[in-house]
Amino acid sequence: MTRTRIAGALRSPLTFSVLAGLLIGALFLLGTGADPLTAYQAVLTGALGGDGIGPTLTTGTSVLGLALALAVPLRAGLINLGGDGQMVLGGITAAVTGLASPLPAPLTVVLALLAGTAAGAGYAVLAALCENRLGVPLLVSSLLLSYPAVSLASYLARYPLKEPGSSLPQTRALPDGVALPAFGDSTVTLGLVLVALAAAAYWFTDRRTAVGYEIRMTGLNSRFSAYAGVERRGLTLRLMSVSGGLAGLVGAIGVLSFPYRFVDGSLTAPGYTWTGLTAALLAGAAPLGTVVAAFFFAVLQVGGLAMERTTEVPRELTQVLQAIVIVFLAARLRFPSRWFGRRSREREAV
Amino acid sequence: MFLDPDLLMSALRALTPILLAALGGALCERAGVFNIGLEGMMLMGCFTSVATSWFTGSPWLGVLAAALAAAAYSLILAVGAVTLRGDAVVLGIAMNLLAVGLTSFLLRTVFGVQGTFDDPSLAGLPLIGGFTPLAYLSWAAVAVAALLLSRHVWGLRLRGVGEAPDAAATLGVRPASYQYGVILLSGVLCGLAGAQLALGNVTLFTENMTAGRGWIAVVAVMLGRAAPLGVLLAALLFGLAEAAGFRLQGLGLPQQATDAAPYVVTLGALFLTTARRRRRPRTRSSGARS
Amino acid sequence: MTPPRAEPELAVELRGITKRFPGTLANDAVDLTVRRGEIHALMGENGAGKSTLMSVLYGMERPDAGTVRIDGRETRFTSPGDAMAAGLGMVHQSFKLFDSLTVAENVVYAAEPRRFGLVDRAAARDRVRALAEEHGLAVDPDARVGDLPVGLRQRVEILKLLHRGARTLVLDEPTAVLTPAEADALFSVLKSLTAQGRTVILVTHKLREVLEGSDRVTVLRDGRVVARLVTADTTADEIAAAMTGRAVRLDRIHAPGTPGDAVLDVTGFGTDSVHDVDLTVHAGEIVGIAGVAGNGQSELIEALAGLRPVTAGRVTLAGDDITHASATERRARGLAYVPEDRHAVGTAPAATVADNLAMGHHRTSLSSRGLLPPAAVRAHARRLVERFGIKAATTEVPASALSGGNLQKLLIGRELAHDAPLLLVEQPTRGVDIGAIQNIHDQLIAYRDAGHAVLLVSAELSEIRGLADRVLVMYEGRIAASYPKGEADERTLGLAMAGAPVPAAKATEAVD
Repeated sequence: MTRTRIAGALRSPLTFSVLAGLLIGALFLLGTGADPLTAYQAVLTGALGGDGIGPTLTTGTSVLGLALALAVPLRAGLINLGGDGQMVLGGITAAVTGLASPLPAPLTVVLALLAGTAAGAGYAVLAALCENRLGVPLLVSSLLLSYPAVSLASYLARYPLKEPGSSLPQTRALPDGVALPAFGDSTVTLGLVLVALAAAAYWFTDRRTAVGYEIRMTGLNSRFSAYAGVERRGLTLRLMSVSGGLAGLVGAIGVLSFPYRFVDGSLTAPGYTWTGLTAALLAGAAPLGTVVAAFFFAVLQVGGLAMERTTEVPRELTQVLQAIVIVFLAARLRFPSRWFGRRSREREAV
Repeated sequence: MFLDPDLLMSALRALTPILLAALGGALCERAGVFNIGLEGMMLMGCFTSVATSWFTGSPWLGVLAAALAAAAYSLILAVGAVTLRGDAVVLGIAMNLLAVGLTSFLLRTVFGVQGTFDDPSLAGLPLIGGFTPLAYLSWAAVAVAALLLSRHVWGLRLRGVGEAPDAAATLGVRPASYQYGVILLSGVLCGLAGAQLALGNVTLFTENMTAGRGWIAVVAVMLGRAAPLGVLLAALLFGLAEAAGFRLQGLGLPQQATDAAPYVVTLGALFLTTARRRRRPRTRSSGARS
Repeated sequence: MTPPRAEPELAVELRGITKRFPGTLANDAVDLTVRRGEIHALMGENGAGKSTLMSVLYGMERPDAGTVRIDGRETRFTSPGDAMAAGLGMVHQSFKLFDSLTVAENVVYAAEPRRFGLVDRAAARDRVRALAEEHGLAVDPDARVGDLPVGLRQRVEILKLLHRGARTLVLDEPTAVLTPAEADALFSVLKSLTAQGRTVILVTHKLREVLEGSDRVTVLRDGRVVARLVTADTTADEIAAAMTGRAVRLDRIHAPGTPGDAVLDVTGFGTDSVHDVDLTVHAGEIVGIAGVAGNGQSELIEALAGLRPVTAGRVTLAGDDITHASATERRARGLAYVPEDRHAVGTAPAATVADNLAMGHHRTSLSSRGLLPPAAVRAHARRLVERFGIKAATTEVPASALSGGNLQKLLIGRELAHDAPLLLVEQPTRGVDIGAIQNIHDQLIAYRDAGHAVLLVSAELSEIRGLADRVLVMYEGRIAASYPKGEADERTLGLAMAGAPVPAAKATEAVD
């Protein structure tokens, strides 16, 4: 039983995709004249070594947050491509709240987090309404809505809210104390704990609640769940509000962490949304898998910088790796079964 | 005061890349392949055209290389979705991501620059009567595609494949070969779209320079109901929005407002058409994965 | 190559066809010989191997052993295209047509008349008109196929084959979707085709049309040929015995139930393509709805289940008005539902057996305050697997690993386990093997006898007649007739299903 289970895991498309991605990455490295082993080692030490773990956890906060945001609807078969817009609106809303709130600093922090979450949720709900009421596919409506939101935030940061005298497109810094507490001297903040709590809540909902069961069944066969009375439009609306809320929360966390302001482009440039979506797709939106995949990609992203320093191979290679893994996974490639003996194959036929 | 000939000219220039890509998407749609990898294929075309033009000095070779490279790139979708029956939506998303990563990586390894490659000696496409040859090609492509689809044997079989692949198969028509054909064709068209963008509209390469145009092409396919003339009208709408945006920017409106304009217009157009269409039963599937 | 034969020329000759699938031997050394110019019926129960044999003949499956001869020449088809080139054509049970294309485009598809590379539309139209006239298959060449009624679509299918010059036509269950009148028209077309020297193979399990329309019969059971008969010399009983392998008739009539209070009461009911339906189902009663597919039965049931809006009338369940209640509310008030399509609607094949069995119970017996303990789901699944004899390796395997019959048992078991006062069942035994059919029928009768109301929709008249305490016939979205148990034979029902006027006295007497 265990043997076949291990063989099954090795034979899963997931294993194949990750290994194939790493192999192709190695070919790229050889092509640029670098030693793949040195490069991969640099990724690992760079991301997990003493200097790397802090940035990895900081990046991981955003990547995991967005991975969860995109996994929640994906579990029901819905793809939210508007993570950027929802996150940026959450960020700019948190910045406005932080700058304008008359409350004491700790309460302002809470208020800014809530406002950012609400802004992201509200905007995602708009995309859901486009599908429910107007018949525009969610995939398209969420993505198209994303661009104007990013433009709006960019406009606000560059004109009405711009820091006077600065040459950078950024808002004024938040007042003293309006910041998420950090761990020690690091850039890792309470945001990581919030995102981890969200992951735990997602796991619990998915495995142990009736709602989670309905979401999973909708993802596996939406007509089946509709037949049993799961109301699709309502579900889309609720899942998208959670999804956008999480994306908005990530934006708010970003603004309430160093450098404690909204900087145009700082949330979207690292590509958290696409990395998060990749992680969610890789894990099939399963809660624990999403956490593992998000951490894996955070390591790649941060380690990529270290790799670039040591081997002079551009860090964009890590983005190539991510995409290749998903290409293989979507194509459902796997190792041929004969590599694992006939027993496992016979079991499958039963 | 607004719809003057100048505006129309700049709209026509702006629409070419979207039109070429959307034609490719429309052909795929007709064959039952949901192709959302247009953006990535276009971006591959942008980079290849610039790199080839730079190293050979010939923008024409750049155009040719862009078409070939994007067609080769489209094989990912063909093999993944048609042969291996993978999820076309996920494949398309992955292709778009891969193109961004790959072109940025190559930009740094081949040109040694980050962000933008821009050189005065990079040869762009010549203008004939204010338009690149690719613009004329795109208009001709609309007519050819319309004729092929409605009257040609190949078009009839393609429409059948898209509507009921198993029915086509029982009559000895292999759906897979038609689907491969249109996916490769969409690759060629997207490659041309990319070349137009990087050697026609401007003469440079910037990371992620397609900036959502491939997605707008996807929407143009939906708006135009995958018919070549419908797609032309939809693309013209976006061309007008983009051109009007530039005009407004000249009048002092912030760049962000004009950046957002094509997307807002797109969404608005989608609302209007789907609201009208919803009174009749809809057949197109939504963004949900199967 | 072929030695001269004394017997009539053979259009199709299959020898020793053997085809294995994992776990089953679908065809075991099957011989089938069809003479030129005859209508040959290939009969058998579901799963007897008819479809596999025809797939082999048509080049869609390759046999593990055996030879195929067409018109005396040995052939090895690798695709339907090859089979077509050899003069073979097949009309599939589910039509293979392009709804958005015209009749002419459908007919000439992949064999188009051309001018300069373009489709010659005028020639295509003329061709369709000529073929239609020659064979009595009148249909407008410019009509969109999607707009045509079923009977005309079948004509398009036949025209398609004739356009390609098919000499041998295979028709798979051609009358399943036809009214008796349409079926009669089809048979007269087939007879005129054979009179011209074409050959027809009729794959079916309907005795009546075989006896009336065919020349010879080959009967399959469990992948083997069990009988070769000349129609003129045989009887319905002989064929039925050969098909089922025993003398007992499968269409056993169960004892009637004892109806109690009304559970479901429907008055003046309307929804998409259903009008003005009145019906009542009592506790301890099975009401059967017969009708040719597409006459509103599915819409009626879906609307009753809350999956389709009700546009007129009133529905009450045990006295409560549920006309506009959601599917969930209806289930909460005591409704269970076995849908027609078990793969696409009734289950999630990729989910585990346990998860499939939990659906509907996950909000009621298995959860409290929104929590759904995995242990409760597993225990529930084990109980149902045992109670309904579902054969599954474990409850954690995906439902797609189950056989058709076991998947149907899972679906029916899950719905029966609700113990709901009202059960809606559509096509409970379609595509299920004989053993499972009897099991399922017994379960439904037991459910009725426990005092529940059952509304049954089935395309199998024998099933309706065997199970139902009252039979309603639907025609064009209305209840056309109603008969108490045992008062309607298949002929009467068939007439009512075809829309023939029902004798007024009898109809009113029957409606309670």
